[in-house]
Amino acid sequence: MRTWLSRSGYALYLLPLLFLGIFFLYPLLAIFDISLRPDGALDLSAFGRLVASDYYIEVLLFTCWQAALSTALTLLLATPCAFVFARYRFAGKSLLLSLATLPFVLPTVVVALAFASLTGKSGILNSLLRALFSLDYTPIQLERTLAIIIIAHVFYNFAIALRIMTGYWASVGFETEEAARCLGADAWSVWRDIRLPLIRPALLSAGILVFIFCFTSFGVVLILGGIRFATLEVQIYYQAVNIFNLPLAAALSIVQILSMLALMTIYTRQQRNLQLRLASSATIARAPRTAAEKVAVASCVALISLLLLSPLLALLARAVLLGGQVDLSNFLALAEKSRGSLLFIAPLEAIVNSLRFALLAMTAALLLGVIAASMIHRRGRLARFWDPLFMLPLATSAVTLGFGFIVALDEPPLNLRASWLIIPVSHTLVALPFVIRSVLPAMRAIPPSLGEAGRVLGAKPHQKLLSIDAPLLGRSIAVGATFAFTVSMGEFGASLFVAQRESVTMPVVIYRLLGDPGLASYRQSLAMSVLLMLVCAGGFMLIERLRAAGLGEF
Amino acid sequence: MLRLANVAHAYGDVVSLRGLSLDLSPGEILCLLGPSGCGKTTLLRIIAGLEGDYSGEIRLDGADIRPVPVHQRGFGLMFQDYALFPHMSVRENIAYGLKRRGDRRRDIKRQVDALLERVGLAGLGPRDVAALSGGQKQRVALARSLAPNPRLLMLDEPLGSLDAQLRDQLALELRKLLKETGIGAIYVTHDRREAYAVADRIAVMDAGSIQQCDSPRQLYHKPANAHVARFLGLRNLYARAENARALQLAEQARALRNATQYILIHPRGISLDGLASAPAAEFEATLLAAVFRGEAWDIRLRLDGDLHLSCSTSELPTQIGKPVRVFVALEAVLALDE
Repeated sequence: MRTWLSRSGYALYLLPLLFLGIFFLYPLLAIFDISLRPDGALDLSAFGRLVASDYYIEVLLFTCWQAALSTALTLLLATPCAFVFARYRFAGKSLLLSLATLPFVLPTVVVALAFASLTGKSGILNSLLRALFSLDYTPIQLERTLAIIIIAHVFYNFAIALRIMTGYWASVGFETEEAARCLGADAWSVWRDIRLPLIRPALLSAGILVFIFCFTSFGVVLILGGIRFATLEVQIYYQAVNIFNLPLAAALSIVQILSMLALMTIYTRQQRNLQLRLASSATIARAPRTAAEKVAVASCVALISLLLLSPLLALLARAVLLGGQVDLSNFLALAEKSRGSLLFIAPLEAIVNSLRFALLAMTAALLLGVIAASMIHRRGRLARFWDPLFMLPLATSAVTLGFGFIVALDEPPLNLRASWLIIPVSHTLVALPFVIRSVLPAMRAIPPSLGEAGRVLGAKPHQKLLSIDAPLLGRSIAVGATFAFTVSMGEFGASLFVAQRESVTMPVVIYRLLGDPGLASYRQSLAMSVLLMLVCAGGFMLIERLRAAGLGEF
Repeated sequence: MLRLANVAHAYGDVVSLRGLSLDLSPGEILCLLGPSGCGKTTLLRIIAGLEGDYSGEIRLDGADIRPVPVHQRGFGLMFQDYALFPHMSVRENIAYGLKRRGDRRRDIKRQVDALLERVGLAGLGPRDVAALSGGQKQRVALARSLAPNPRLLMLDEPLGSLDAQLRDQLALELRKLLKETGIGAIYVTHDRREAYAVADRIAVMDAGSIQQCDSPRQLYHKPANAHVARFLGLRNLYARAENARALQLAEQARALRNATQYILIHPRGISLDGLASAPAAEFEATLLAAVFRGEAWDIRLRLDGDLHLSCSTSELPTQIGKPVRVFVALEAVLALDE
């Protein structure tokens, strides 16, 4: 019995490895192949063109520059807020923290459209300003500027920085700064000598992570910036899909992969450093007392609400208000394909597609993710190796994944290019790390003595699995499932590559509708975005509710 | 030098200090002794300026210091967990207050060297504070708070996280050092042995007010009320209504007042050899139990009228269950209120 189970257990381990091999490593190799050997022989001309052309150097520099700017602004805003969150207790704090994290699960197309609704030419802000001051020009012109890209990046990453730094700050405590004040440090010296140096590890950690996210940002840059602000990601897409220069796209992908590899290495090293220094502290948040403290709390609340809620509310308002009245005709219009649209199906069918793919991807990601998590959890010589391996898809940009799919899986033995299956497969790949990261901490939290106690009391291995492990993991598996579903619903970069005419998903349809001429399409895209936002927000609330305090690494 | 009058403070609905008053003379070491949660740390934080919402007066040499912000008070505060700056070396930690004061670099180096010498850490200046032992951290924290020559030094359970043996040794060192510098100090602890060893005067706190403020000897010999007696661990405390035999003894000692609620038969006045100089009452008792404590025996006796007495004795007088003679010095019979 036992040998049978452990043998079939090892066989199970092959599943995630095979999946990763076929759908991740093989496409990556194909990218390398197409860029290094476009015609079967070693040919570095694509790379030569990259290095020789100022343009691509500029693309790389711009990618770094916008990521650095976005990171700096995010940290600048999140640091004082993290201090307020760690130091003070106030009504609605946990709700605010939850809300601030919402963007994390929102699809990029939705966020891009939300910002367009708020600050665009006919957006809420401009309409409001024009009406208020009876202006005949557009006061806020952020469309296709670097500024709007960076603001959207701050919107996305604010909560990540906030969470990392708040947690660290609370663990560091506030005794040392009180000690400094007693030794004669004024407010400014306390920031310079104590607070900032103390949270430096968290600041670095958050900074690198935000930089990584901004470096690989695709939807935001593509929709809000346009081709003028091409980052590596956008260039890969443009070269592969618009110009069909596959060797060049592949060369750019390799640059992207290597950059990400370097960044992830720095990040994991920094992360280890951060965990080393995390120690518990008895200091707890207290109510704000002085007027200055109350102002600090109030401005933090105001900043978060303004930055995070206003674009989403603007999107909602634009979608459901017509001429000042609540009007759901935008939503009803989703049932039909508007005239002149480049779409092949009615938007409503894309919703069905999305739901179908998300359910499939969720099931597959759960199955593979739980097996992979137990592989990582099982101590052994190889376990150390599995963890980074299964995290690789997270570190690879979605555009690279999608590009890899179309160059690798388009011919026998695996011709998925024309099949809709390619979409849920790509989503599974993207969702897999989320499932592992949700389940693994719960697995590690189960003390081995529990299982041993069960075994001593007479439970057979599979009985132990069902009666002890499964109930204890149930919650985290549900979190992983919700993550997988939400990630699949919102996935944009890879889907844009691999989706066929009939198998388009909601984010892809939103993007296509934006490209369509005419107001009807625009309204449809607004309605579609609101639906997608609601689905993702619902998934997010479920995750927040399911997640036991401190469990899960996202 | 420092004078507190009617200081009261509350955390929301929870009252932590109920209008207490306190005087500190120059160079005096005052211990705040009390169980955890009695408000002693809050009082320190108020004096330091770290707690804002309180009422009452705080004067230093006659001047109201309430409006003075923390960093300009010139008070030293040593935290319970030391609150050493983890990103600075031993030397940088000690130098911090001097830097903020604007001392010149050369002066700072000289002063830090002298302090390191004084707390027995000479040569450890470049060390990372994380690499220090508990006792060494304590010394760094002390040196750091002494460095800017504070007008008043406050110490919050400075020996709390050390093991018992080290605590006894450091308590003596600490007193010596404080007396040498001549800085007035407020020393918070919940350990009465530590308080006896360090303090010139001890203020026993409970539930936000000061129950008694006296020299260690006076406090031990004459606890002001039953509460203090209990906190000091004095045994043989009887409710007036409960024990007629104890009441009788108190009457004999002429200690009784109308309001008396408790009678304390102080263990120091109980002896088995009758050599006490003061007038004493003599009893026939039975030895109930004896526990060997090393330096002495803790014994428990039963007198007639069901009065149980506990005391210490160097030698065991007889076997358990056998009769023994007992002397109670009348001056050790105290009448106490709650």
